[in-house]
Amino acid sequence: MNPPATPAMISAHRLSKEFTVHKKEPGLRGSLRALFRRRYIVKEAVKAASFEVNEGELVGLVGANGAGKTTLVKMLAGVIHPTSGAASVLGYCPWERDNRLRRKMALIMGQKASLWWDLPAADCFLLLREIYQIPRPRFEATIEMLTEMLEVREQLKIQIRRLSLGERMKMELVAALLHEPRVVFLDEPTIGLDLTAQRAIREFLLRYLREHRPAMLLTSHYMEDIEKLCERIIILREGEIVYDGPLARVVATYAPYKVVTAHLDGAQGAWSAESAAAALGGLGEVAEAAPGVVRLHVPRAEVARSAAAVLRELPVVDVTIEEPEIGAIIERIMRERGGAER
Amino acid sequence: MRYLRLYLYFLRFSFSRSMEFRFDFFFRIFMDSVYYAVNLGFYGVLFSKVPTIGGWNFDQAVIFVAGYLLLDAIDMTVFSNNMWQLPSLINRGDLDYYLVRPVSTLYFVSLRDFAANSFVNLLMTIGILAWAIARYPGELGPASIAAFAVLLLAGCFLHYVLHITFLLSAFWLHAAAGVQQLFYVIREFSERPHQIYKGWLRQVLVTVLPVALFASIPAHALFDGLDLALALHVVAVAIGAWLLLVFVWSRGLRAYVSASS
Repeated sequence: MNPPATPAMISAHRLSKEFTVHKKEPGLRGSLRALFRRRYIVKEAVKAASFEVNEGELVGLVGANGAGKTTLVKMLAGVIHPTSGAASVLGYCPWERDNRLRRKMALIMGQKASLWWDLPAADCFLLLREIYQIPRPRFEATIEMLTEMLEVREQLKIQIRRLSLGERMKMELVAALLHEPRVVFLDEPTIGLDLTAQRAIREFLLRYLREHRPAMLLTSHYMEDIEKLCERIIILREGEIVYDGPLARVVATYAPYKVVTAHLDGAQGAWSAESAAAALGGLGEVAEAAPGVVRLHVPRAEVARSAAAVLRELPVVDVTIEEPEIGAIIERIMRERGGAER
Repeated sequence: MRYLRLYLYFLRFSFSRSMEFRFDFFFRIFMDSVYYAVNLGFYGVLFSKVPTIGGWNFDQAVIFVAGYLLLDAIDMTVFSNNMWQLPSLINRGDLDYYLVRPVSTLYFVSLRDFAANSFVNLLMTIGILAWAIARYPGELGPASIAAFAVLLLAGCFLHYVLHITFLLSAFWLHAAAGVQQLFYVIREFSERPHQIYKGWLRQVLVTVLPVALFASIPAHALFDGLDLALALHVVAVAIGAWLLLVFVWSRGLRAYVSASS
């Protein structure tokens, strides 16, 4: 791959973050003991993370709970200081919080509200206009465009606390993008939303990316977000980057098999899960064997031979050959060495 | 100018929000009126037993009390809501959004919530101070009154700086209730004339923990005149306190862990 013509918009170099946490035994006795003598443990939330994100790229940051995704995003957004390592966002060190950077950057957190609870979104946006010093004509045009894209124009004058979760998140997105940032950090932007709202936000993000070409870093627990939005993903496991590359390559690297599914004719003989599994085990890994359905993970080179054997050996009414589900592969990679909750 | 425009937004939002909660609006007026009456009454009782306290007679003490009531009302109106919320912003990781905005985060977290429901109290205390000065039997020239007003504003600034510096301990302690309480205990020293304290305690109260500069020193300047040494002292303490706050704030942000989402 050729190096990018322009320097990366986001770059992290061996970025690490350690937290010192107090370990307390459970119960009252543990609390009393901790009052006088405390045990501290050092937790490495992010370990020497290095990567770059270029203009117009939307990179998915994937990992189990406690893998360090949010910590990494917060370091790059300048919210917390790293323990070691370096980072550059639009040429600035993020945790020095230079206003020239903060004017061109946005952070959106699905679990935290930035808008004032008791005010209508329109008022909150006026405050943001002042904060980001957005000229009035541009401000009005951007509001119109964003609220139209997200279909929340009618809700502009309603207090934030009276909006639905989905509408609130859409308003948060408008608020974050009002100043047309060049770098956008999205931490779980669709968490807790229903499927329709999730889809609307995904479509909006893709359109925004296409039209404005910012560098975007997205964390999400929803594999559908990652699959639909990101061509490139970074997988974090216990603070370490274990994969950084195209989403499509994850399949070839971590799932060297295809899924062969045979739907069986129940009327012909007594094919049970066990008997099908016993007959076909040699063709590949039996991933599922239920009455009427057998699903095999077959090495890619063996797919044709295995499919033929399935058709020969079993009373098949239908057979499908598919790529494994990307979400399931990623989840398996994340789980491989555990993923302790933090 | 930009920060002034931002503050006008804070004011506008705060007023429109507080009008929604009528009970709280009137309750605060009632509670604070009781507080003012108790404070003035306390000195009334004291002066029925003694002719002077710390060299001040009853009329002077009334001006001093009116001064610290005004300071308290300014604090309640401008800073208090923000101060109450600050430890929770730090502990719950809600400082995150303020840190990514291109404005001073310290300015934002200190001033964003104007307690519009205390505004009536602020007007009441201005009235009490004006009444206290008007009923004073001695001579108070306009220059002395102006110096008193400026020093009282410096006292408000020092009150804010000292209070927030205490609260910033939440960056390290993760619980600021005890420290908040400690600040209120120390602040009680400001509600008595500083002349009653002697020796090292008095030195501490005008320098390291300069609560005497909140209202007592301004009243002293009003009655006895403001000399250059005292003016320089107030300026030096204010600058020193501000530099300390900026230092603690920047160290605090380095220690800020933000709560995991």
